[in-house]
This record gives sequence, structure tokens and C-alpha cells, in this order.
Amino acid sequence: MNLDPSSINRRDFLAKTVAGVSAGIVLGAPSILRANGEGAGDQIRVALVGMGKQGRVLFEAMSNIPGIHFQAVCDIWDYNLKGGMAKVRALQGHTPKGYIDIDEMLATEKGLDAVIVATPDFWHSPHTVKCLEAGLNVYCEKMMSNTIDGARAMVRAMEKSGKLCQIGHQRRSNPRYRYVLNELIKGQKICGQIVNINAQWNRAVSSSQDIAYNPKLTIKQDILTKYGFKSMQQFMNWRTYRDLSGGPISDLGAHQIDIFGWFLGAAPKSVYASGGNDFFKNREHFDNVMAIFEYDTPQGGVRAFYQVLTTTSAGGGYYESFMGTEGNIRISEQSAYTSIYREDSAPSWDSLVERGFLKRKPAPPKPEPAPGVIASYASAAPEGFELPGELSKQPHQCHLENFFLAVRGKAKLNCDARHAFESEAPIYWVNPSALSKLPIQFTPAQLSV
Amino acid sequence: MSNESCCANPKLGLVYGSLLLRLWLAVRAIQTGLEKFSGTRAADEVVNINGKANEYGLTAAGSIKQYALTNYHGVPEALMKKFAEEPLMLKSALTLYDKMLGPALLLLGVTILFGIASRTSLFLLGLLYISLTWGLILIKQDEGVSWLGVHMILVVMALMLSENNRFTLLKKW
Repeated sequence: MNLDPSSINRRDFLAKTVAGVSAGIVLGAPSILRANGEGAGDQIRVALVGMGKQGRVLFEAMSNIPGIHFQAVCDIWDYNLKGGMAKVRALQGHTPKGYIDIDEMLATEKGLDAVIVATPDFWHSPHTVKCLEAGLNVYCEKMMSNTIDGARAMVRAMEKSGKLCQIGHQRRSNPRYRYVLNELIKGQKICGQIVNINAQWNRAVSSSQDIAYNPKLTIKQDILTKYGFKSMQQFMNWRTYRDLSGGPISDLGAHQIDIFGWFLGAAPKSVYASGGNDFFKNREHFDNVMAIFEYDTPQGGVRAFYQVLTTTSAGGGYYESFMGTEGNIRISEQSAYTSIYREDSAPSWDSLVERGFLKRKPAPPKPEPAPGVIASYASAAPEGFELPGELSKQPHQCHLENFFLAVRGKAKLNCDARHAFESEAPIYWVNPSALSKLPIQFTPAQLSV
Repeated sequence: MSNESCCANPKLGLVYGSLLLRLWLAVRAIQTGLEKFSGTRAADEVVNINGKANEYGLTAAGSIKQYALTNYHGVPEALMKKFAEEPLMLKSALTLYDKMLGPALLLLGVTILFGIASRTSLFLLGLLYISLTWGLILIKQDEGVSWLGVHMILVVMALMLSENNRFTLLKKW
């Protein structure tokens, strides 16, 4: 299974587009767009569907990408709709058309090229399928859907329509992640044999509270009902309801569990999960979930442990740690959580440092051995390293740039719906495993479209 | 004799003193106003790996300072939050103050620098510093209040020396 859709053709793509532009800038769409002299007539006409928190994050990232014309905004909440329209006006100097209903928008708006879907998870599939069937390219936030069947429908719609459907696993386009995979793990093989993966997203209770709202801004109940919400409270906090989302394991975990399969180039053979309502007793989804995925890779077996805790930030934020016999790469969207360690027994990495593949971290002071500790049982402190560079853009920007380059026919999507499905399918089985307290051995049918 | 040369132009020292105070207060106001349009952007220098620019777009860590209208922030964000929590602070007034603070500093700085209605400009600058002082008292920033007190002394000294004000474009007011 190839979980990296761009691994085969990336070099071809680079070779074709690199002329006149340094290769390092190629992945930055603005340079390419400017280099090709695209004017207003060549702008990609975009509709924004869902202008809540995530919709605004994507808009901010897109506001740094030239060549986009925001033509329409759609949101069932007047507050988000007007706010989104105002943001477009502030950026582009014109007021886009605003819609409450996506069907009305698709029937009215002519000449759209692409739609950005950032609605609640249970609307992702219906909205994406509608847009694809209308002949539009779609960038849809992850998780693809709140159900695996919803995700399957998105893959089928993409392949039937022949249109592009990028899923918002933005790490797939993040230069830091792509560098770690292609140069450090595959190229220089600094991890040796990867035997374990350890990842987490730990979030404090204070950051996991229900989202409050101004009662004066409450949406009328008939509109809420029409769009699948029982109340304004549910509208604001859809992530905590089973019919509307997959809960923290999909909300936060999907981004990171996606990296497991992408980096290993394999799908898991089983999952065993545990979860509970340890603090938020009245929520439908577990507030704390832990899952173990087992993989068979050409190098050997790999166990991947993932935990999402919405009740404590202890343990230090969010990251994915690839632990090998010779080195460990702990990577995160946040540079502060990223670190690389060489096992004491591994060959020297001095030449990698000299050639710029890694930067050496200042060595920490050696701890004094505690009385009674048998020194021979303890591993020597590993040598610390850092990535040689950073991402100088908003984390979602590169993924959106990849999408818009693909719309222009100048790139392959880094995470189309099919590859996203292969990555997300195992995640849909975490909650069932935790609920039944039983491991699930995956069958091909469970993980296929 | 030295006394005779001094008495030939007895006000020269006061003229220089007035000019220096005007320059100091103008520079302080203009640069403070300009800084409200400053921001940083991430460094975009592509790092070299294995002797060539990396093809991933990894850039050197760090940030570059730049000035732009879009960077404008009258009252620093951290202070805005504190002010917003103060019961004596009107939210609408805070928003208005946030918008006018930077332009007001720039405008008054320029008028003081070029000697345009120097006394009125200095008086308005003093009022501006009083408003800042009131805000800092509200959030118990005593050190800032002290600094502004020093500024007020300088403004008053400049006003007292205004009879010796020279090199002005508009002497009236």
C-alpha cells in the first residue's frame, strides 16, 4: 500500500517546474503563481463553506496565497457568515455573496473552481459529495466524516467526478514532515529499524471546556433542526456528540495517526483501545482515549501507541515519536516539541551535521548517579539534534498551496480522499474497540472503500 | 572675556535647551508611534543541506522585523485584555483609543519636531501622556507611571522654555 501519493512523481513534478526557480521555492505556491504571470483572469474562484473557527484558520492561511478570488461564503450562523464576508471584504476589497444554504449557493454561483469545506464533521461528506457532483474541486477538513461510510462516499464521489478532493491532513504538505520522512528516515535511515511509535495530544481541562455563546446570537431553532442540530449548545459543541463527530480520537488523533501509516507505508493489522469519561461525565464521547495499533512492515513489526487526553496537559503537548534501534525522531507541528536523539550505540552522525542534514543540540548536563542505582542497567544519555530548518508559514498554508497548485494542474495532491481514507479507516475502529473493550483484527473489508 | 561673550547672547543656552527638549520629545513620540506599525515575519532564507538549497522549503529559524499598516496595534494585545477587564474602562472608548494612539503620537511628534503650533502640540502630548498614565494606574503598572511622570516633567519644561523656541514653522499657538 502506498500511503504517499506524491512519492512517485514528486521528482518529475519538480523537474518540470523547477526551471528558473530554485528548487527550494517550488513548494511555495506564491513564487510559482507569480512566475507564471497569472493575473486576475487566472484567479481560482473559491467558495468558503463553514466559517467557524477552523474555517477562519484556513481563510487566514489562504490569505497569504496569491491568485485566489473568494467569491462566496456559506454558513448557517449569521454571526459566522457576516464575519466571514467582512474578512473577505477586508482582504480583497469586495463583499462576497453570502449564503445560509449550500444548495442555494451551488445553484446560484456560477464559475466557481473550488470549495473549501470546514463544516462540522457530520456535514463533511454530504457537502463534499454535493460539490464534487457539481463539478467543483474540494478541500475538506479532516476527519473526512463522522462515519466510515461517509468517508467511503467521498472517495467514490471524487473518483466518479474526476475532480480533486484534498483532505486537510496538513502535515502531509509540511516541509518539516516531508523532510523527516524522505531525508532522515528513508534517505539517511537515522532511526535504524523503527520498532515503536509513541504519539500524544494532551490538552488541559481548561482548554477542553464547552464553548460558550452569546444567547442574543442564538440561531433560530427551525434552522438548527434543518441542519441537524438539536440546540445551539449542540451546534457550538458538536465535537462532543457521537452523531456529529468521532470525538477526540478523530478530532485530534486523526492528524497524528495519519502520520503513522504515511511514514511506515503500511496499514495497521489491529487496534486495541481503551477510553473513558474520566472528567467530563456527561459527554457522549470519551474524554481520554488510548489506542495501540500493530503494523507489519518490511523491516518488522511496529507497535504504535497513541493517547489523546482532554483532561490534562501533563506530558508536554502534541507530537509523534518514531523510535528506532539507532535513533528517535520526535516531530510535531510545533518546533518546541520536536527533537531528535541518537542512540549511544549508533554510528556517529557527525557527517550528517557537517553536511547540514541535522543541527546538534547543546548537550545537557550529565545527571549524578543516584545512590544504589546499578549503572550498567541504565542506557547512556542520547545525543540530541534538531532539524536544520523551520516552516516559515502558517501550518495549513502549504497544504492549501498544494491543493491550488493541483487545481492549476501543476501538482499532485499530497492527500487526496483515497489516501486520506486509507489513513483514516483504522481510526473509525478505535471507539468501537474502546466501547467493547476488545481488540479488533482488521479485515480488508473494514479498511477498504 | 568669557563673561562678555556670554552676555552678548544671554538666551543662547535657553534656545539650545528648548531645541533639545523639542527634539527629544519629538523623536520619542514619532518612534513610539512608528513602532505601533511594526511586526515580525518569519525568516524565509532557505537553508542549505548537502551543499545546496533544500527542495522542501525549510527556512532558517528566526524572524525579521518589518513595518506595515496591517501590523498596527495601538495598545499592546496583552494590555488590551487587562484594560478590557477594568470596570472603569469603557469598551468603546478603549477601541477608539487603540485606533487613535499611534496616529496621534506620530502627528504630535511631527508637529513638535517642525515647530508647528509647538505650545498646543506639547499641551496635547501632555494630555496624551496623562491618558496613558491613567490606564497604567488602572492596571497597576507603577513603573510605567513613573516613566510617564518623567515625560510629563520634560513636556512642562519644554513649555516653560517656549519663549526661547526657535526654528519653527508656525509660531502661533
